[in-house]
Amino acid sequence: MSDAPASPSHESGGEQSPRGSLSGAAREQDRYLPIANISRIMKKALPPNGKIAKDAKDTMQECVSEFISFITSEASEKCQKEKRKTINGDDLLWAMATLGFEDYIEPLKVYLARYREAEGDTKGSARSGDGSARPDQVGLAGQNAQLVHQGSLNYIGLQVQPQHLVMPSMQGHE
Amino acid sequence: MKPFLLSHPDTMYNCSQVYCSHSLAHTSYPCGDPYFGSSIVAYGTQAITQQMVPQMLGLASTRIALPVELAEDGPIYVNAKQYHGILRRRQSRAKLKAQNKLIKSRKPYLHESRHRHALKRVRGTGGRFLSAKQLQQFNAELVTDAHSGPGPVNVYQKKDASEAESHPSRTGKNASITFTAISGLTSMSGNSVSFRRPEHNFLGNSPNIGGSSQCSGGLTFGGGARQCTSVGR
Repeated sequence: MSDAPASPSHESGGEQSPRGSLSGAAREQDRYLPIANISRIMKKALPPNGKIAKDAKDTMQECVSEFISFITSEASEKCQKEKRKTINGDDLLWAMATLGFEDYIEPLKVYLARYREAEGDTKGSARSGDGSARPDQVGLAGQNAQLVHQGSLNYIGLQVQPQHLVMPSMQGHE
Repeated sequence: MKPFLLSHPDTMYNCSQVYCSHSLAHTSYPCGDPYFGSSIVAYGTQAITQQMVPQMLGLASTRIALPVELAEDGPIYVNAKQYHGILRRRQSRAKLKAQNKLIKSRKPYLHESRHRHALKRVRGTGGRFLSAKQLQQFNAELVTDAHSGPGPVNVYQKKDASEAESHPSRTGKNASITFTAISGLTSMSGNSVSFRRPEHNFLGNSPNIGGSSQCSGGLTFGGGARQCTSVGR
C-alpha cells in the first residue's frame, strides 16, 4: 500500500534528471498549481480594489496543492484495492465523502454530470487534447484536469468558467 | 460497538505506521535541512488542521489524537475519518524529503529567456508594460521631451532607478542596455511615418531578442555579452 505512491514520485524523479538546469523549476511545477491561476480565482471573491499579499497567495497555493494530494491519495488507495489503474471522477467523489467532505458531493455530482454531457465521454477520463499535449503523462494530466475542474467549482458556479481556467493552466505548465 | 472494534486495530496499525514514519524521519534528519524541512511539515499539518476546523464544528464527530512527534504545541485532534489519510500523506512527504525533492526555495521566474524579455520591455507610468499603440504615443512624447531639453534626462533617470530597484547587482549592464534602447526608440520615432511601420519594426525586433536569449542559455557572462552585441545591431 505504501509502495504505490513511491512509484509515481520515482517516475517523476527520473523524468526530471535529464534537464538539470530546470530541476528546481520542474519540481515546483510538479508539486504546486500555477500561482497565477490561484490568485486569479482568489481575486474573483474580492471587491474590484482588493489586493492579495504574496504570502497569502503562497499559503493558498500550498493549501490547495496539499488538498489535491490528500484526496487523490485516498482515491488511489481505493483504486488499488479494486485493481484499477485509472482514477475517475466517481472515485474522487467517494474519497471526499470518506474523508468527511460530504457537503461537496451534491454540487460536484451535478458538475460532473454536466461535464460528461458536454465532453461526451462517459468514462470521465482524460481528453484527447491532454493526451496529445503530454503523451507520456496521460494519466497524470487527466487527474490534474479533473481536479482543476472540480476545484474551480468551489468558487465559480458557472459551467463556462472551467473551460476558461483549463487553458491558463495548460499555458502555465508550458 | 463495531466502529470501536474497527478503530482499535486501525489504531494499532497506525501505531506501526507511526514507528515507520519515525524511523524515516530519523533517517532523513542528517540529509536535508532539518529546520526548514520540519517547518514545512509543521506548516502542512497546521494547514490541514485549519482546513478541518469547520468540519469538526459542523459534524461534531469523534476525534482522535495524532502522534505528538510533529506537533510542538501538544496533541492535535483531527477528524476521525481523515486520521488514516493524514498519516499516509505524512509518510509521502517524509519520502519526498528523504529523496530531497521538497521545494526549499521558490524561484522568482521559471524561464530565463522570458525574464530577460520582460526586462527589455518598456514600462509606462505605474510600472506597467506599454502595448504597441501606447509605445507609439510614448515615442511621440519622447520627441516632444527631446525638443524641450530636460525631458530625456528625467526619462533616463526614471528608467535607471526602476531597473536599479529590480536588479541592483547588475546596474552597469542594465544602464548600458537602457541607453541603447533609448537610442533605438529615438531612431524608431524618427522613422515612424505610418502606423504599420513601427509595428513591423517592433515585431521584427522581438524574434531577434528571443533568438539571442535562446543562444545565451549556457553561460551568464557570455550570454550578457551576446545580448549587448545583438541589441547594438
